[in-house]
Amino acid sequence: MRQGFRHAMAWLHAWSGLVVGWVLFAVFVTGTASFYRAGITQWMRPELVAIEADPGRAADLGAAYLRRQMPDAMGWFIALPTPEKPAISVMWWKSMEGPFHEALLDPATGEPTRARETRGGDFLYRFHYELSMPPTLGRWIVGACTLVMLVALISGIVTHRRIFADFFTFRRGAKSAQRGWLDAHNVAGVLGLPFHLMIAYTGLTLLATLYMPWGVRTAYKGDEIRYFVEAGLMPELRWTAGRPGTLAPLGPIVAAAMARGGEVPEGLSVWNPGDVNAAVVAIFEEPHGLSHHHAQIAFDGQTGAVLGTNGAVGPATGTGTVMAGLHMGHFAGPVLRLLLVLCGLMGAATVATGLVLWAVARAPKGAAPAGFGLLLVRALNLGTIAGLPAGIAAYFLANRLLPVGLSERASFEVGAFFGVWVLVALYAVLRPGPRAWTQALGLVGALYLAVPPVAALTGGLSQPGGALRFLGFDLWMLALGLGFVFAARKAAARAGAPLRRPVRGMTGEEALRA
Amino acid sequence: MTPLVVVLNVTLCFAGFAALALSLDRHHREALAGRVPAGRVLPLRAAGWALLALSLAGAVAWEGLNFGPVQWIGALTGGALLVVLVLSYRPAWLRPAALLALPLGLAVVPAILLAFAH
Repeated sequence: MRQGFRHAMAWLHAWSGLVVGWVLFAVFVTGTASFYRAGITQWMRPELVAIEADPGRAADLGAAYLRRQMPDAMGWFIALPTPEKPAISVMWWKSMEGPFHEALLDPATGEPTRARETRGGDFLYRFHYELSMPPTLGRWIVGACTLVMLVALISGIVTHRRIFADFFTFRRGAKSAQRGWLDAHNVAGVLGLPFHLMIAYTGLTLLATLYMPWGVRTAYKGDEIRYFVEAGLMPELRWTAGRPGTLAPLGPIVAAAMARGGEVPEGLSVWNPGDVNAAVVAIFEEPHGLSHHHAQIAFDGQTGAVLGTNGAVGPATGTGTVMAGLHMGHFAGPVLRLLLVLCGLMGAATVATGLVLWAVARAPKGAAPAGFGLLLVRALNLGTIAGLPAGIAAYFLANRLLPVGLSERASFEVGAFFGVWVLVALYAVLRPGPRAWTQALGLVGALYLAVPPVAALTGGLSQPGGALRFLGFDLWMLALGLGFVFAARKAAARAGAPLRRPVRGMTGEEALRA
Repeated sequence: MTPLVVVLNVTLCFAGFAALALSLDRHHREALAGRVPAGRVLPLRAAGWALLALSLAGAVAWEGLNFGPVQWIGALTGGALLVVLVLSYRPAWLRPAALLALPLGLAVVPAILLAFAH
């Protein structure tokens, strides 16, 4: 009976993991990169250098620009400059269905900055939960895959026969390939287990009202905004009066928000700026705790009087905001962030080794040809595990290599991401076999290693802030590049075609088995 | 002062997990040769769990009840990963590395106290 149960769980683990594995790998990799979202964006806009900017003046410059773009907008958003993002970032829209327009303004002049057009780290961040699909569809797909990931995690724990005895076991020199992959899968999965469970669960609760809207819908009968107000997630706002009004200067409002909130707000949203019922909401950064909850103060857009604040959150919403906070890790300083990134990479490694293990365990014995299913899994494995990292490296390279003034530049960068990914995947289909892994992983390594020199040669040496301004980013690129080159050499040893010489101190036969 | 406390957490977790690994025959054989002597298993396990608990205590004491456990769980993963890497590539270094990690972790404590005194 017990054996039967474990057997059933092993079956469930293998197939649930396979079905969602490719999507999960992409979600893990782009999600891990999102821990460095601000840093990536900074690197991709090297023209922006930190300057002292007065927040009140920045808000007024933003409003002046927005008034020229869309005086009768439904909403404006003005993100105030920070040392990480030394620009005024504005958005404007006519309806909640979009389109949402955005621009980046120079805090000195209020005109669009001369920074290159790029989506920066935001592209990887959005891809993490929307997969570059229509937002709702992408979120549903990622949510479904995350749910299956929880199934795979739990069934994986049940399947793992010797979870404590094998806790530290990684037999590098194992005789059978399957054993080595299993050890790697177990180590990456078990050591990172608290993180994997946390990140999957909190990922689902983050979008809980999207996945399970019925409670809110039934209780609030079409007035869902009311739910967010009562939950303490946003302050009470007013409907448009339909009469044109004049928006008060934002500088004094920012000063009032700073006096009341104790710090510079992250940004201002302005609702119905052209109406007498205009409202300005100052949004503060989340408090310096685990909870992801932004304090907000609403002001009358005409008089600048305080309309109200979002209240304190209740226990249920509080639990939700702490879950969100844990998932996004905004609280983490540089060292803890590094641990989070390490955990994320282990998650990606768990998925990748699991996918490879599935194919290795089902490899035909002897000279029997592989069936269509196995060939498909192998091609998708290589196409995803090498293809996606290659795409990200190409995204970074395109940021430096495309002409700065190119029109639709941001789309070309995204095109480079998908283009290189598709090319690697096609290569995996057209040239299956053990050599393909060596070549693809070697290519990925070369792409990452190329990023720092390319950045240096395209203005990096003379950039404001010095050649070492992005040292952290360069070190990450080198580490990733060397990691992939190392993986390529391992794959070459397996394929029986060493790239160069066997690892020092090993006989040829040992290197083959390593 | 998060970075210093993280250093304390990771070094203690590493030493703790190393003790736990050395209490298992397979890893004892790799790192020190031979099975674990009969009287060694319990002390090693007790020391291992105690060090992990100490790491948690340090995290909670200096980072509070909300951040402390989160940071400790991150340190658990980091410390265990280090043990696995040392065991796979340089097994003989495991015991010296653990013995080195302990004083290193404890050496950080005065620095943490100093930082919190200000």
